[in-house]
Amino acid sequence: MTATANGTDAARDIVVIKDLRKSFGNVEVLKGIDLAVAAGEAVVIVGSSGSGKSTCLRCINRLEEPTGGRITVGGQEITGRKVDLNALRRRIGMVFQGINLYPHMTALGNVTLAMRKVAGLSKAAAEEKARHHLDLVGLAHRADAYPAQLSGGQQQRVGIARAMALEPQVMLFDEPTSALDPELVGEVLNVMMRTKQLGMTMIVVTHEMQFAREVADRVVFMDEGKVLDVGTPHEILVEPRHQRIRDFVNRTRT
Amino acid sequence: MDEIIRYFFDFSRLSGYWPDILHGFLITVEMSILTVAIGIPLGLLLAVLRLYGIRPLNALIIFYIDLFRSIPQLVLIILAYFALPFSGLVLSPFTATVVALSMVLSAFAEEIFWAGITSVPKGQWEAGRSTGLGFNQTLAYVVLPQAIRLGIPPLTNRAIGISKGTTLGSVVAVPELLNVTSSIQSNVANPTALTVGAMLFLALFLPFVRFTRWLERAYGHPRH
Ligand SMILES: Nc1ncnc2c1ncn2[C@@H]1O[C@H](COP(=O)(O)OP(=O)(O)O)[C@@H](O)[C@H]1O
Ligand SMILES: [Mg+2]
Repeated sequence: MTATANGTDAARDIVVIKDLRKSFGNVEVLKGIDLAVAAGEAVVIVGSSGSGKSTCLRCINRLEEPTGGRITVGGQEITGRKVDLNALRRRIGMVFQGINLYPHMTALGNVTLAMRKVAGLSKAAAEEKARHHLDLVGLAHRADAYPAQLSGGQQQRVGIARAMALEPQVMLFDEPTSALDPELVGEVLNVMMRTKQLGMTMIVVTHEMQFAREVADRVVFMDEGKVLDVGTPHEILVEPRHQRIRDFVNRTRT
Repeated sequence: MDEIIRYFFDFSRLSGYWPDILHGFLITVEMSILTVAIGIPLGLLLAVLRLYGIRPLNALIIFYIDLFRSIPQLVLIILAYFALPFSGLVLSPFTATVVALSMVLSAFAEEIFWAGITSVPKGQWEAGRSTGLGFNQTLAYVVLPQAIRLGIPPLTNRAIGISKGTTLGSVVAVPELLNVTSSIQSNVANPTALTVGAMLFLALFLPFVRFTRWLERAYGHPRH
């Protein structure tokens, strides 16, 4: 059977992507992606803008409809017509570049909405659990604040709590810090690091190279809709094997 | 000057007419409330239906709203009262007026709700759907509350504007406030009844107009 690059066996793979293809109109932006992510693993995807990182991530919870290939999450096929999308998405947490908190709800309301309406928890049970998850991101004291009353970094931490509270099998992060002021990036990365320490399986698209080096188990380099290379952070970001990656790393080095 | 005031405020001439005036006022109030209570929910329903993107249905909805936004209310009331009977539907003057006005309001309300719904960022939908909320749930809990909030100030303006059209019911002889007071005016050859009518219209609509001002201030600079 297939083995992930770091040698774990397929049975422990939470996400398996095989020959994933996606076209917008007649432009193919994903040209056959293969990737397996093991339980508890943190995979960081890097690559230049437009290389298809977001599209790849969004195919995993079918915010984009793949045009070819197969994806399984927790052993279950997610492509195909018979899939219960809502049940699937509940198992996959997503954190957005644009944060996308619900502006008309408090932090607590943001976290409890899906817990109540999708997971079917009572209001009291949802709130108790939501407070726990807000506490994990260091925001228990801001539970009653509206998004506009929170800093960007705090908003994104609520965004992480909102996804984590549903106890997903995998968390997808699409440039979670790109919209933030530089001084707010650290607090969000810290929360993500703690999420990883809790054993969460994570796929992270980011331009934060230090985070990739320190937190990633593996780094995937995407280029023009393909995976150009996969390896340890050292193999990809410190001593790249490909000229294109060397160029990319030199460009992003600050 | 004194002369004029006495002329317009000669309440002695109204004795015996007060029950008619009160009745006219109540009819105006009833028609206004019904117009709003039917027109706004109907507009919301049409906007939500339009969201499902069913082609033939959307074409119908757009035809409906364009039609009712372009025909003058007066014409619609007359059509509802005099023309509908030819298709077998006989409406009382009261009902014909309310039907015509609420359809006009629903058309404007649909546009306002639609604008509100489409101005909610795509990311809000994606956030909801990514947590497993279905389309309808995301609409109900995430998108509509924001869309309705955006729509409240323009909706209140429209609702007032169109409710004032209840005065047009006089063309099909609805005994509403303007109709009653203007016929009293000609009966007694004195305009005091109209003065009373104006004050009653003010009493009915001024609170609403103030309410819109308050809303515009409250929602004009969104705090959250
Ligand atoms: N909804 C869309 N419609 C058309 N083209 C799109 C759409 N989304 C993304 N693309 C295109 O797909 C390519 C990959 O985009 P994306 O996955 O966002 O890249 P990245 O996240 O790596 O910057 C880009 O060329 C982009 O313009
Ligand atoms: Mg992207």
